[in-house]
Amino acid sequence: MPETTKQIHRIIINASIQDVWDALTKEGEVLPFFFNSVLHTTTLAPGAPMRMRSKDGKYTGVVGEVLELEPPHRYVTTFKFTNFDDPPCKVTHQLKEVEGGVEYTLISENVPVGTKTEKQMQQGGHFITKTLRGLVENGKAPVSSRLILGMISILGWMTPKQCLTENWPMEKKIQ
Amino acid sequence: MKPEDMDAIFHALASSHRRKVLDVLKAMPGCNVNDVCKYFDMSRIAVMKHLKVLEEANLVISEKSGRSRELYFNAATIQLIYDRWTTEYSKFWASHVTDIKFKAENRKRKHARDD
Repeated sequence: MPETTKQIHRIIINASIQDVWDALTKEGEVLPFFFNSVLHTTTLAPGAPMRMRSKDGKYTGVVGEVLELEPPHRYVTTFKFTNFDDPPCKVTHQLKEVEGGVEYTLISENVPVGTKTEKQMQQGGHFITKTLRGLVENGKAPVSSRLILGMISILGWMTPKQCLTENWPMEKKIQ
Repeated sequence: MKPEDMDAIFHALASSHRRKVLDVLKAMPGCNVNDVCKYFDMSRIAVMKHLKVLEEANLVISEKSGRSRELYFNAATIQLIYDRWTTEYSKFWASHVTDIKFKAENRKRKHARDD
């Protein structure tokens, strides 16, 4: 077994818990906080496949399976970047109502140490908590995130073939 | 974020011991109080006090795991400070100058070792 790591990112969001939950789990809508991808699933429920696809549906960047779903408090999935050959890890989103808004906690677990997935996650964790907060509080992503999102759309054609959606059908088991 | 929250972050960071605690937690995510104590010449109670200040500033997250507690550095809080005073442009050039600083200082250390 390779050594794995766990990271926790936590931030307070000044919005209702339902707004944060909706921003996190909207299916079929572009999710800027998640690198402008669109959430695809059969039905958002435990056991269901989870796919994060590009707007045009051509590319699938992240694949996984829903492990737990307790609206509007908890959303747990397995998580694998399609462009890396690393095994899937586990990502937990937790929402809790606190004074001044909602405490959003993002936990990434079983991330193999020293892999590309680990590196990507370290950068991704910041991006997700920050962009989600900007979106829910101000209705738009922070400037720095918008620039990154712009880059992503420009670089779309550079996406490797491994990420083509046809390689990641809903019925494919992720391991 | 309220001004008091920012005060709590900078108060927590205004201590070399507490900054070192964050270094330890960054290197060993999920370690416990005993692990942290090994890096300090102070009592367990003193270490716990520092951890409490860091936790109140949302710089440290402590999670119950059975009978012990797992400690994590919360980088999202540092990111908040960074986002407030950095723009896409300053980020590029600021990281360029710090990069040069770290590279040059590494060279200096290497020369010192070679001499």
